[in-house]
Amino acid sequence: MIVGRREAWTGRLLLVLLMAITVMPFVSLFVTALHPSGSYPPGLEWPRDPHWGNFAEAFRAAHMGELLKSSTLIVLGVVPVSLLLGTLAGFAIGHLRMAGRNLAFLTFVLGLTLPFEGIITPLYYQVRDMGLLNTRWAIILPLIGLFMPFAVFWMRAHFVNMPEELSESARIDGANVWQLFWRVHVPLAMPALSSLGILLFLWTWNQFLLAIVLVDDPMKRTMSGALGAFQGQWGTDIPLLSAGSLLILAPTLVIFMIFQRRFVTALLQGSLKG
Amino acid sequence: MKKRSPAPAAGLRTPSWVGWLFVAPALAVYAVFVLRPIVLTFQYSLYRWDGIGPSTWAGLDNYVKVFTDPDLFDSILNAVKLIVFFSAIPVLLGLAIASTIRRIATSRLALVARTVLFLPQVIPLVAAGIAWSWLLSSNGLVNQVFSHLGLGGVTRAWLGDFSTALPAVGVIGAWVLLGLCTILLLAGLSKIDPAVYEAARMDGAGPLREFFSITVPSLRQEIGVCVTVTVIAALASFDIVFIATQGGPGNSTMVPGLEIYYLAFSERQVGMASALAVVLMVLVLACALPVQWLTKDRSS
Amino acid sequence: MSRRVRNRWNGAVLMVVVGALAAGCGAPGGDAPQTEAGGTPVSTTPTCGTAPVTLKAYIETGFPLPKELSTEFTKQHPNVKWSIREDQFAVITQNAPRVLADDPPDLMRLPQVSELVKDGLLKNLDGYAKAFGWDSWPASQLQQMRLGPGGKTRGEGSLYAMGLNFSMTGVFYNKKLAAKIGMSSPPTTLAELDAALAKAKDAGIAPIAQFNGGATGGLAFPLQDLMASYGPAAPINDWIFQKPGATIDTPSNLKATQHLDQWIKAGYFWKDVNAVDYATMMSRFIGGQGLFMFNGDWESGNLDKQMPGDVGFFLMPPAEKGGKLAAMSAPLTYGIGSRAKNADCAAFFLNWVATDPQARDIAVKVGGSHPMGPADAHMPDVAEGTVTASTLQAGADVSKDNGAMDFIANATGAIYAKSWTPQLQKLVAGQQTPDGLLTSVQSDYKSQVGGS
Repeated sequence: MIVGRREAWTGRLLLVLLMAITVMPFVSLFVTALHPSGSYPPGLEWPRDPHWGNFAEAFRAAHMGELLKSSTLIVLGVVPVSLLLGTLAGFAIGHLRMAGRNLAFLTFVLGLTLPFEGIITPLYYQVRDMGLLNTRWAIILPLIGLFMPFAVFWMRAHFVNMPEELSESARIDGANVWQLFWRVHVPLAMPALSSLGILLFLWTWNQFLLAIVLVDDPMKRTMSGALGAFQGQWGTDIPLLSAGSLLILAPTLVIFMIFQRRFVTALLQGSLKG
Repeated sequence: MKKRSPAPAAGLRTPSWVGWLFVAPALAVYAVFVLRPIVLTFQYSLYRWDGIGPSTWAGLDNYVKVFTDPDLFDSILNAVKLIVFFSAIPVLLGLAIASTIRRIATSRLALVARTVLFLPQVIPLVAAGIAWSWLLSSNGLVNQVFSHLGLGGVTRAWLGDFSTALPAVGVIGAWVLLGLCTILLLAGLSKIDPAVYEAARMDGAGPLREFFSITVPSLRQEIGVCVTVTVIAALASFDIVFIATQGGPGNSTMVPGLEIYYLAFSERQVGMASALAVVLMVLVLACALPVQWLTKDRSS
Repeated sequence: MSRRVRNRWNGAVLMVVVGALAAGCGAPGGDAPQTEAGGTPVSTTPTCGTAPVTLKAYIETGFPLPKELSTEFTKQHPNVKWSIREDQFAVITQNAPRVLADDPPDLMRLPQVSELVKDGLLKNLDGYAKAFGWDSWPASQLQQMRLGPGGKTRGEGSLYAMGLNFSMTGVFYNKKLAAKIGMSSPPTTLAELDAALAKAKDAGIAPIAQFNGGATGGLAFPLQDLMASYGPAAPINDWIFQKPGATIDTPSNLKATQHLDQWIKAGYFWKDVNAVDYATMMSRFIGGQGLFMFNGDWESGNLDKQMPGDVGFFLMPPAEKGGKLAAMSAPLTYGIGSRAKNADCAAFFLNWVATDPQARDIAVKVGGSHPMGPADAHMPDVAEGTVTASTLQAGADVSKDNGAMDFIANATGAIYAKSWTPQLQKLVAGQQTPDGLLTSVQSDYKSQVGGS
């Protein structure tokens, strides 16, 4: 069909164009990063003498090793606990269906659209009074709280669709509630859990506001917060800033490339449900 | 969806307190780090407080100021204007693109595109801000392109010009959200039975009618999701503006999130910051709820 | 499940939530840090001792001076290590109150200090001044860092900060470009400066290199220079020091602002000046893209290195021939947090910076500005014909005319970010009039000084 073929080609062209626009900022960062440190390279221009050393320089200047460690520690503090708490609550609300579950659910859903800026001010004073300011806990604990609405919402959606018969037969085998949860339901929830884990990882890693407000030392921040500090300090040196930015976003890109299927599915489901 | 038995088996045999025991830890963290701060924001908003010394009761003065002080109110208006870029462009353009590439949705190219278009969702917004600040600067790529096209006259520092700074910030947001919307809508399209389109073609429907009478109605839920996500992103924008313009030039790109940050932590008008925060939270809810309500009913 | 039980559970969850929220009683805040009345009396001269100490410092990025000084200090006092955090000045301004309140550094680059003193966040240095003999230095060096009780009026009272050196602003010019328009010596009146600007414009040379982008309204430099050109320095200082009844909205300041507006309209600034940050300005000026640059002597050392022999410096010429010279001149202020752990060692460092010969050499050669300290202290040799030499000479000229002013951006903590910067950006864009600019800055000033 001629019409169909023309449509397909327009589609391909459009898609390629869209991809080019998406990738353009990365290309620009990359090319700029190769110019001599301290210069103001014009637009997109391949340097005569690419300064690959800028990446090493930025790695050193940004303390990438420490940054990676810090972000990893924060992710390890946030994600497993959020998964556990979210699953417990989602299981109770979605499957055990205790009395008052609707109110509990509503309470959590209330927080789904909450902009973080809305509570950042009291959060600062609260974290300060707890003596946690400028520690990684200042990011970890509030983030667990802030992720609860989505985590509970997500896991509830999973448990609501689990068949009753499953629990029924487990009960007949003499399992108590905890065993029912831990032995039967958690293993079955793995796909939902891993998608949620990916989303929480991404949101933690890229969290900016909490990091810049609650932690002054960039070495104790998330990657995103550290990038903010890096810009504050090296924003005057464009090639170095570009190299540093690329380095700082490299870890997520690498992980994204490895798990891209899961990522895309998780993000799609995530936004559909959220 | 599976029909549920009226008396849930597991629920029947498990006392409610056990269920609440499961919920308790999540509720506790949530209450301490989210609900309590929400209540405190309300409380702070009724006081004049510099964050260090003692505070004095201010009643609704802070709210009056939010709506009468041009600087503060402009920040809200700017956020509303950003919706055009963060929301309207990605959703409309996404719809157009998704329906154009519907036929090749399963091709290899489309699969590669799915990954590539997701990149902006994966990287920190801060990085997007840095990259785009550079693209939009006086000697950045955008101006280079315009000059090559013989449009040297329009070149400028896009983020430093009163008339273009806010749209330029909007373009960054549109870039971040376009890929997500396109793919969400494409995923929705793939659920529509191709036979429906075939039938429409048989009836002599053109691409336009096809678009309005099949594509848009079937994608109601996906469109709703896109609109909700992007509107919230616009109203609560912070990272991009913080990096790209810090609210300038003048106050032309000031948004509520950034204004709250400045008020609370550098100007130390904690009460005013909190009043603006309350207004922002209410605004987000007021935008998100109707969209959800309008688009969700079909599925339940 | 019966209705009654369900209600009980709903009630229970409400109880839990409300209980967790039961914070909403009583007004927020209240326990302000103790303000010291007269500074800690210091009996013996403080030192850094011999035990290992780590000084926590929060400094401004982009200027090598503090780091060079800290390195040299550690060389002489090996028990002192440094933990240094760097940010751009605008970021420091934003962070200062909460950093000092909640995580006080030993040594910190300070923005405007009035409000920090009012909140008791800065250490009163009177005790150290007595112990180290800072009181016997030329009084003008420390004047700007003295504050009356409660941080009300600046310029007199207790000492709350110290300078690493004493910097001064004026006009740098590119000698090669100046030769192209036939300018062989610096202008001596405002009219001569205007003529040079017009000639440069006609010759296709960008007349002025300046920054005005983001959160930093750099047009405040030429504006204040013009203010000093048109009127006396004292009323401007009164305004900056928050003397009661002071105003910035005076006839001579209006003339100055109108003059700046003419420069803008004549196209003497870069077209994208509202997007140019400080570093971009420096890089462009060094690259020869601007004849004049309104800036401070902290760049002298840098310019001597980057374009040796090609840069000149002059003080802003007065409107009338033979009029008094004036310049913004301020110490590079560092302070000690009121709850700093190693206050004694930090004070010892500040004293060392002003008195140690090697430190004074660094202050001039790296910092480009006059060191603090006694009038008869060691002065490093500076080669003739360098910018550094001419800026040091200009400093002497200004003090002869009693023309030292603090920076108008330092009047209150928020005046720069909230008023000068956006207003100057609007002036550039043609969205504000000179008259409207001064009126709105004055009204912001009033609400900031009176209100908070």
